[in-house]
Amino acid sequence: MEQKQQNKKRRNLYKVYPIEENCISCRYCEVACTMVHSESKDPIKAYKLEDLLPRPTVEVEGPVSISVMCRHCKHPFCLDACISGAIWQDKNGAVHLDEDVCVGCWSCVLVCPFGAVHPHLNKRHSLKCDLCEGRDFPACVEACPNRALVYDRER
Amino acid sequence: MKYVIVGNSAAAVGCINGIRKVDKEGEITVITYEKEGCYSKPMIADILVDLPEEKLIYKDKKFFEQKNVRVLLGTKVIKIDPEKREVVLDTGIAENYDKLLISTGAKPFVPPIKGSEKEGVFTFTELSKAKAAKEYITKNGVKDVVVIGSGFIGLEVAYFLRKKGINVYVIELLNKVLGKALDNRGSEIVEKIMRDIGINFFFEDTIEEILGNEKVESVKLKSGKIINAEMVIVAIGVRPNTELAQTAEIKVNRGIDTNLFMETSIPDIYAAGDCVENIDITDNTKKNLPLFPLAFEQGLVAGLNMAGKKMKYLGGLPLNSLKFLEEVPVLNAGIVEPPDSTYEVLVNDRFEKRGYYRKAIIKDNRLVGFVAIGEVDRVGILTGIIRQKLDVSTFKEKLIDIDFGLVHLPKNWREARIQQDKTGYNDWRPEE
Ligand SMILES: Cc1cc2nc3c(=O)[nH]c(=O)nc-3n(C[C@H](O)[C@H](O)[C@H](O)COP(=O)(O)OP(=O)(O)OC[C@H]3O[C@@H](n4cnc5c(N)ncnc54)[C@H](O)[C@@H]3O)c2cc1C
Ligand code: SF4
Ligand code: SF4
Repeated sequence: MEQKQQNKKRRNLYKVYPIEENCISCRYCEVACTMVHSESKDPIKAYKLEDLLPRPTVEVEGPVSISVMCRHCKHPFCLDACISGAIWQDKNGAVHLDEDVCVGCWSCVLVCPFGAVHPHLNKRHSLKCDLCEGRDFPACVEACPNRALVYDRER
Repeated sequence: MKYVIVGNSAAAVGCINGIRKVDKEGEITVITYEKEGCYSKPMIADILVDLPEEKLIYKDKKFFEQKNVRVLLGTKVIKIDPEKREVVLDTGIAENYDKLLISTGAKPFVPPIKGSEKEGVFTFTELSKAKAAKEYITKNGVKDVVVIGSGFIGLEVAYFLRKKGINVYVIELLNKVLGKALDNRGSEIVEKIMRDIGINFFFEDTIEEILGNEKVESVKLKSGKIINAEMVIVAIGVRPNTELAQTAEIKVNRGIDTNLFMETSIPDIYAAGDCVENIDITDNTKKNLPLFPLAFEQGLVAGLNMAGKKMKYLGGLPLNSLKFLEEVPVLNAGIVEPPDSTYEVLVNDRFEKRGYYRKAIIKDNRLVGFVAIGEVDRVGILTGIIRQKLDVSTFKEKLIDIDFGLVHLPKNWREARIQQDKTGYNDWRPEE
């Protein structure tokens, strides 16, 4: 019974889970993310010409590394803080950021407890994981050579 | 169930979201005396640099339709009658409620200044006032403006006016900009940037009299200095707007008194946002924290409780982003200057060489505040650590690194947050 209730509460939300034990800090996820969010869809051009930032962040400390991206929180503090209305939550609970509505106030950057929304200082807007909207599978997961990222239903 | 929300801003929208998480059916009515609809208050100064008004919209008509909310614009609530459970409008009509939210925000504080009745004196806390100020500038060809106060609003207005080529004189009682909201080093950096673009500062001084016939012509300072200016903007702070609450004899301290469910002293009346007295989790004192994220969050918590889902507010935290400053991002949260020697301060000042500055303030192995300038990516992790009162003793020297990340936190923290999705509101409470 208890189990059932818990299941009922689970959101129908698929997102990316990093497995730190498998991460080898190759940063392929960062590159893949930057590329699919670029105009040119070319990793070199995207990095060199388009002034883009990756949405996952590969953190490294000694032997431990982990790729951190937006958790699409049950309580998204970024949404509380957003002064322009750029951040919104869809019916499944995924958290979206409309870059053209964003005014670059960095309030979301100030409150995201995962450091998962990034300020693009030159472009004056923030950016975060959009779960590769419009693509059938997140690019970072696809790119990871070591299965350190999995696309799974929220727990 | 009938909900009435007085105010149509951050706290109101939070409240609507909160109610609708629980109650999809109940009637919701939002009442505001402003006519412009749900605009973003923190963005009003941007109209000085010609941001189109439609960019100011925070929640459009569609939002209110989707959430099935009735909105009464241009309607002031003049009285609350808790006995009859109704609010009385300036139209003479009464609206009854089962649950009421007061989110009447804050009012600009204007000290008595000789000559302040003259034309050309403005405050900057409402869209209509910002628009009036802008119009006055255009109509009168204003070239010189005195801004009283160097808080966030004062500096923002000063900055935008300067960007439009106006000569700006900022008068500040203290010896630094941003007072207690930013640490000394941070203030110094901000002041330098603002001076570099041509803004003038007069510290440890105040305005004595506004001179001129009908319109402002000059300003006399306490020090005796006279500044010629056609306009004065008063921006020395805001005070909770508790007028309406007082009509129902709701308990008011330095703002409306609420418990952690955001209930006031009168049953079924809740309050949220700039009109309430908040509690600062870094020093456990009650104070006014007129900030957008806090107003929204309080509104959300109030809404949940109004709709019957018990939820306790996590408490407030002063936090700011100097959002107008294009040159350098300046973010901070919590205590920024240690009040005494029981606090530990860590500093990583590479501002001159590398363009960034980071500082952490620690008390009893808990992070209680930080300042981040220049490199600000991911500083929200620090805000989360403050909120959760995590023990930082094993990684504290990392806190001021610009590469600080989750990898420096205990592994079980990452497991809980990431693998088990502990990202709900209650998951951020400090562990006892
Ligand atoms: C210029 C400026 C810049 C700012 N920048 C920032 C920033 O960068 N970051 C940040 O965190 N915060 C900022 N703030 C503060 C932020 O705007 C407030 O904290 C936030 O708007 C508070 O929301 P609220 O819902 O409590 O009240 P408010 O936004 O003040 O709204 C009050 C509402 O109540 C209505 N009202 C009041 N009395 C009545 C009545 N009797 N009858 C009917 N309606 C009534 C008003 O019409 C209004 O809709 C800024 C504020 C200003 C003025
Ligand atoms: S950006 Fe941060 S706060 Fe917002 S949903 Fe993602 S992880 Fe949560
Ligand atoms: S930076 Fe953009 S998305 Fe973030 S809070 Fe500000 S307006 Fe919203």
